[in-house]
Amino acid sequence: MPDLPELNPVVHGRLRLALLSLLSGVEEAEFTWLRTKTEATDGNLGAQLLKLEEAGYVAVEKKFVLRKPQTLYRITEGGRQALGEYVRALKQLLGPAGGM
Amino acid sequence: MKGQAMPDHTTEQELRERLSLIERMIAEGRRNTESWGWTFVLWGVVYYAAIAWSEWGNSPWAWPVCVSTGVIVTIAVASSKTSGHAETTLGRAIGSIWMALGITMVVLFPALGLSGRLSDGRVFVAVMSAILGMANGASALILRWKIQFACAVVWWLAAVSECFGSEAQSTVVFLVAIFLCQIVFGIYGMAADAQQRKRRAIDA
Repeated sequence: MPDLPELNPVVHGRLRLALLSLLSGVEEAEFTWLRTKTEATDGNLGAQLLKLEEAGYVAVEKKFVLRKPQTLYRITEGGRQALGEYVRALKQLLGPAGGM
Repeated sequence: MKGQAMPDHTTEQELRERLSLIERMIAEGRRNTESWGWTFVLWGVVYYAAIAWSEWGNSPWAWPVCVSTGVIVTIAVASSKTSGHAETTLGRAIGSIWMALGITMVVLFPALGLSGRLSDGRVFVAVMSAILGMANGASALILRWKIQFACAVVWWLAAVSECFGSEAQSTVVFLVAIFLCQIVFGIYGMAADAQQRKRRAIDA
């Protein structure tokens, strides 16, 4: 029996997976944009983004625009790689019928 | 976890759901996040108001006042509609075209007006139509959007016809081009976006 791949637990979380997928399609995104797209609460979203940041999958930039605080998130090279590996593992687990 | 396909609590259906979530979110992220159909309608109304005012009111302030109002309303509505912001290369490319169009018009037309070299209204309309054709054409080529390219063709044809027609013909051509490429195209854009939103809500 061939070795089956492991699913990265950091990426596997539903909200974290949604966040990484969203960020993979944009250069950078504001916290509020991510909240609208995922329909998550501020607390949960902040916690999951922090986990992704700690894993080195997203980078955060905080700045002020017209005196208003703005938090921008972007996927890192490590995050992109982790997402790619997760998709490959998922496809392998699902077999030939699971292709995107 | 090697050799152990998936955790006990993770069903195949759940994995498929994860795969579909990735697809949905990537598409959502790449999607142009805001509908801009309303700006076409708004600017169509601005052009009509400016033409009507300058035609019947005979005021040199018609275009500057209407365009300034249009800019203020666009900024106000856009900032109230956006809930957060995400930057994509595509979005920046399209935004740059329309930003450059706005700057070109704001710089060129007042200069032409103040210098007194805008004596023939047909030249103003021809230049404006050509610039609008260029912006719509560039945007359509980037988005591979045939309907917007058709709008660009209408503007280019309008620009060429301005060079040969009478003042009255020129006005009619301009009014028709505004109607087709601003009002009709804008309403079409808003309807297409509403339909897309409805489809996504059903899929979700």
